Amino acid sequence: MTAAPQPRPLPVDPSIAPPGTRNFRDAGGIPADRWHADQNGETLVPTHCCFCGVQCGMYLRVDHGGKVFGVEPRNHDINRMRLCPKGINAYQQVNHPDRLTAPLLRRSRNEPFREASWEEALDYTVSEIRRIQSAYGNDAFGMLGGASLFSEKTYLVGKFARVALKTRHVDYNGRLCMVSAAGANKLAFGIDRAGNPFSDILLTDCLLIAGSNVGECFPVMTQYLWGARDRGATLIVVDPRETAIARTADIHVALKPGTDAAFFNSVLNVVVKEGLDDESYLGAHTTGWEEVRDKVSEYPPERAAEICGIPAEQIVQVARAFAGADKAMAWHARGIEHHSQGVENCLTVINLCVATGNIGKPGAGYGTITGQGNGQGGREHGQKSDLLPGGRSITNPDHRRQICEIWGIEESELPAAGTSMMEMVWQMQRREIRGLIGVCNNPFVSLPNYAVVKDGYDTAEFHAQLDFFLSETAANAHVVFPVTTWAEDEGVMANAEARVVKHNKAQEPPAGVRTDTWVLCELAKRLGVGAKFDFPGSRELFEELRIASAGTVNDYYGITYDRLEETGGIAWPCPSTDHPGTPRLFEDGRTYHPDGKIHMQVVEWHPPMDPYTEEYPLSLTTGRTVAHFLSGNQTRRLGALVEQTPRPWVEVHPSHGFRNGDPVRVVTRRGSEVFPALVTEAIRPDTVFIPYHWPVPTAANALTIDALDPRSKIPEYKVCAARIEAAERVDEVPAPPTAPGREAYPETQVSRTDPLPPTSSQGRGTAERS
Amino acid sequence: MMGKTIFIDPGRCIGCQACVSACRECDSHRGKSMIHLDYTEPGRSVASLPTVCMHCEDPVAPCAEVCPADAILVTADGVVQQADTTRCIGCANCVNACPFGVPKIDLQAKLQMKCNLCYDRTAYGLAPMCATVCPTGALFYGTVEELRAERPGVQVADSFAFGDVVVSTGVAMVVPADKVQWPVPGGLPVVEINGVDVR
Amino acid sequence: MSEPSEAVAAATPPPPAAPAPPAGRSVTARATLAGAAVSALLVLAIVLGSRFLRDFDSALLPYAVATVFLAFGVAYRYTVWVSSPGARRLFAKGFGSLFSAANFRKAPTALPRMIATYLGFQKFLGARSHARWAAHQLIFWGCILAALITFPLTWGWFTFTSGSGSGPGYEMRIWGFKVLGFDSLNILGWLMFHGLDIAAVLVIPGASYFLWRRMKDRGAITGQRFAYDLLPLILLIVISVTGLLLTFSSIFLHGGGYEFLAILHMVSVVFTLIYIPFGKFFHIVQRPAAVGMQLFKYTGRQDDQVFACKRCGEPVDTAPYVENLRGTMRDLRLGFDAWAEYCPRCKRVLRGNAYLTHVKKGYK
Repeated sequence: MTAAPQPRPLPVDPSIAPPGTRNFRDAGGIPADRWHADQNGETLVPTHCCFCGVQCGMYLRVDHGGKVFGVEPRNHDINRMRLCPKGINAYQQVNHPDRLTAPLLRRSRNEPFREASWEEALDYTVSEIRRIQSAYGNDAFGMLGGASLFSEKTYLVGKFARVALKTRHVDYNGRLCMVSAAGANKLAFGIDRAGNPFSDILLTDCLLIAGSNVGECFPVMTQYLWGARDRGATLIVVDPRETAIARTADIHVALKPGTDAAFFNSVLNVVVKEGLDDESYLGAHTTGWEEVRDKVSEYPPERAAEICGIPAEQIVQVARAFAGADKAMAWHARGIEHHSQGVENCLTVINLCVATGNIGKPGAGYGTITGQGNGQGGREHGQKSDLLPGGRSITNPDHRRQICEIWGIEESELPAAGTSMMEMVWQMQRREIRGLIGVCNNPFVSLPNYAVVKDGYDTAEFHAQLDFFLSETAANAHVVFPVTTWAEDEGVMANAEARVVKHNKAQEPPAGVRTDTWVLCELAKRLGVGAKFDFPGSRELFEELRIASAGTVNDYYGITYDRLEETGGIAWPCPSTDHPGTPRLFEDGRTYHPDGKIHMQVVEWHPPMDPYTEEYPLSLTTGRTVAHFLSGNQTRRLGALVEQTPRPWVEVHPSHGFRNGDPVRVVTRRGSEVFPALVTEAIRPDTVFIPYHWPVPTAANALTIDALDPRSKIPEYKVCAARIEAAERVDEVPAPPTAPGREAYPETQVSRTDPLPPTSSQGRGTAERS
Repeated sequence: MMGKTIFIDPGRCIGCQACVSACRECDSHRGKSMIHLDYTEPGRSVASLPTVCMHCEDPVAPCAEVCPADAILVTADGVVQQADTTRCIGCANCVNACPFGVPKIDLQAKLQMKCNLCYDRTAYGLAPMCATVCPTGALFYGTVEELRAERPGVQVADSFAFGDVVVSTGVAMVVPADKVQWPVPGGLPVVEINGVDVR
Repeated sequence: MSEPSEAVAAATPPPPAAPAPPAGRSVTARATLAGAAVSALLVLAIVLGSRFLRDFDSALLPYAVATVFLAFGVAYRYTVWVSSPGARRLFAKGFGSLFSAANFRKAPTALPRMIATYLGFQKFLGARSHARWAAHQLIFWGCILAALITFPLTWGWFTFTSGSGSGPGYEMRIWGFKVLGFDSLNILGWLMFHGLDIAAVLVIPGASYFLWRRMKDRGAITGQRFAYDLLPLILLIVISVTGLLLTFSSIFLHGGGYEFLAILHMVSVVFTLIYIPFGKFFHIVQRPAAVGMQLFKYTGRQDDQVFACKRCGEPVDTAPYVENLRGTMRDLRLGFDAWAEYCPRCKRVLRGNAYLTHVKKGYK
């Protein structure tokens, strides 16, 4: 008799259920087993989101024990209760098990970190500063700030670098974000901010969005786009990918990355040719129009169509829609700014708005969407290498004198202008900068050409980093100071509309954690300048910031904490405490240049810095996905967001012959990495896309080029030459770094090793989560 | 006919999954997300569809009808509640009978769970979590009049065609004004070749 | 509070003019018949078990009467319940799997394991919350203990007799047969006499936890109703507390207040027994259906009869289960039973695509 088939041992429980109906793991929050709904008598603390430049209002839910445990929508007029997935999950950072709670210290990078006392960590840092500066000069020690800090702290970073460290080398990660737009705004208008508030979008007849995946990077801003369309506005989206807003746009211009200037010049060419420009406005309010007009005449649609890889008719269509509209508006973001001609790209958009007379009116104007929460405020008050508080120039003798008076130092003591963030890394490679303090940034993920960045940091003799989670950069440092999250301190931020909003403190920091303000003031005290850094908290800093900005273009003098709490936000300039703020600029037709005119600038398109060859025929472009934020140090630890998008992918067009999920090696002149392919018709065949929130070996920025815009020094993230080839297996996403002896909170990391791409660029569908 | 309810407009949806995260914050099922977000054209576009419980009115709650344990209650205001924890035996009849693919099931807990319109919020007149946070208004909570005040000229449809059957629901879809008379297509009938759906 | 003003069980709308399922009136008739038969059987069992009422304690008469009503109610409700289209087919399939000899040969341990998991230790509750599992186990075992003691006592099936008339040597008899003798002063004797007190001590913390949760947890509060959710817990606590107080009264107060407590106790017990078929406690009767359902699915999986979604090929459930569901949907005249062959995700995706194709592609 043949052996009867052995019945497989079958578990009594559970049985089968269809995909997407059976698991609830995506809770993933602060210890998932501690999700309760029995919090009676909670308090709601009104504040804003810590993430992007929209700065949505939200309430943090605080329990009896004074701990943040949840979020509640807040009807603030920026976001009208809406929140994006990042914002909803933001609160989970506050009491997250991965938080740093003691200073970490090591004398050499070969040693492991050990927990140290605050005294020891501060003293060691100061002794290293002293050692390096006495041996190699003050400028051998650098400082890098961040634009997710409250404005008070960004002011403190600038003052600390110049007054306590006495170094010229200070810069911030807004250099990777906002500087192109800032440069263009300054050149054209003499003021560095968006011209119109979000609410003006609702009034426009034609809305042009250039290089911004609004649906993913600024989801809550989408309501303004849709609101405009509900009222009949035409939507034009310029983006190489068919993003969520481009999918339904009236016109989607899927141009080749790095060709924006040619496109906008050509649009202006058509506008001029068809007589749609506003000659009377140009005559009264601008300089340089004739030169611009001559230049754009060299960009007929046929020529631009060839450069941009789009149909020539589309250029004509855009020109007619934009210039033909009664009120038109243009908003742009990193897509056109992250280029070696980022400033010029922005200027071409400004030229288009100005030439059609769409400036400074309800529903007509121009704006730039800041990426970081305080991308606007962070660049205003002196942590940028060439700027002093109030947007003053460090090379202007008057400005220098004013600030020296406020700070109580001799003008000779105030260092000269420094260099940009990427240049500082090169200087670290060359040993011109030997020591560094980093606050609120993660260049190991966010700077281009990782190999160079890693080499630069490794060459530095001393590196201290302030953060609340151990970032990839902090994990490479000598000293790490554990500091507060946004919910454990108060302060202001300025959003993309230049509206200053106040964040409130919702809970006490965990034991062992200090504010960034406290750390910098303690260091200053040990460096012998404690008297100039007597700041018990953000309030005192803000008072000094108000005075330091008084009378400048970026005038905060009329903004006080009390007024912010009463109003829900005030747009600067606000010169006096009875001034209502300035939501819309140029309403009187005057800019902030001494002549009151818009200075139009001639722009000549040039190809991207990384040349295409037979070996590297494709364009690699990078960007964000909706579930993650910047370098991902925060969002890669939040369970729900990891569940939504566990890993990066490479987006390729079906014409390359890959199937969805195939391992694809992306090769550039800087390196190569293997990602799972997300095969989609929503991208140009000559372009591939990788989101950049993950560290090596899955870092888009190990592949991108460290070429800079000569004016803004922004790296050319958005285009470099690449090729793709089939590979064996995808590179695995590493776990986020944690303090010694700790493991990244496992509940949140379950799906990190999923080798598949998400269902769509926004993440995995809820039924695709295995 | 409709009071305050959810109106869904997939055309506005950007697939950001704010609703998915927000659902988890609702106190009546904290930590568990009930909403579905599907990318309906993967490989072709980023189009997406959020699915909340449609709260079927005619036939009234097929999920409750097929329930062998009488576990799914419909409150007088037409809200189909999630399974009663003491009664539900976790058989998944509702999961597979629902024409919209709404209920979920926790196999370990032997418990069905589904969107209950955030009953802890709507019972107080607050909007459900998903529709409160939805950045685009793809999920809108309110009356038809409130919807039209924000979006002039829109129409809504609260019936779906599944083959010959029409299911009318408490939750409605936004449709272009000239197509309001139609029941919205529900996805049936099937197109089969050798027993496999070829769509 | 968010208590719905009026909640209706929607699971039993009689399908109009359906020929296959039994019409409403005949269900009532059959249920009444079943109730009458079961209560008659119980009365007969009481009479026989108490040796023609010789062992029947007339002081416990109200309790015994209440159990007869309980038997009627449970049988009636059960019949109505399993006659509903949703339950009828699964009831048949569940019992079919239960009494299948082939099934038993293939997996003899499946049924006992399922009973232990689902009915005894209620592992599934642990997946909902450990605290709720612990509290439910306390109530469950407390009630089981109490029922095992009190039901036979009130029916006159148990007797405790002492040769000397007042102990300490007792013997316990069931249906008149001596089962064991014990000394009321040793531990076994103490346990025998205080079984109900132990049951009360188990039930009180369990029920109190649930009551506390019902006042505190917003998930539980949502849609909670007094008669359905709170009353049963209050009844359990009242029964247990008054029961304990009876012991307290007889030991420490020399019977002070005993009469009043006894009546209060009796009233609450009688009310609870009669309430069982109609409220939350009916889940005690219903829950074994979980085992039937599980066994039915288990049988299908043993034969590898997994049903895959017609579109994506992912497993939906066992094939007999899907066929059974389609039958149920046809009984209910839900005209889209073919839809059950698709997984929920494919249903949604197909509907989404239909909307994009036929209603509007995107924004306009």
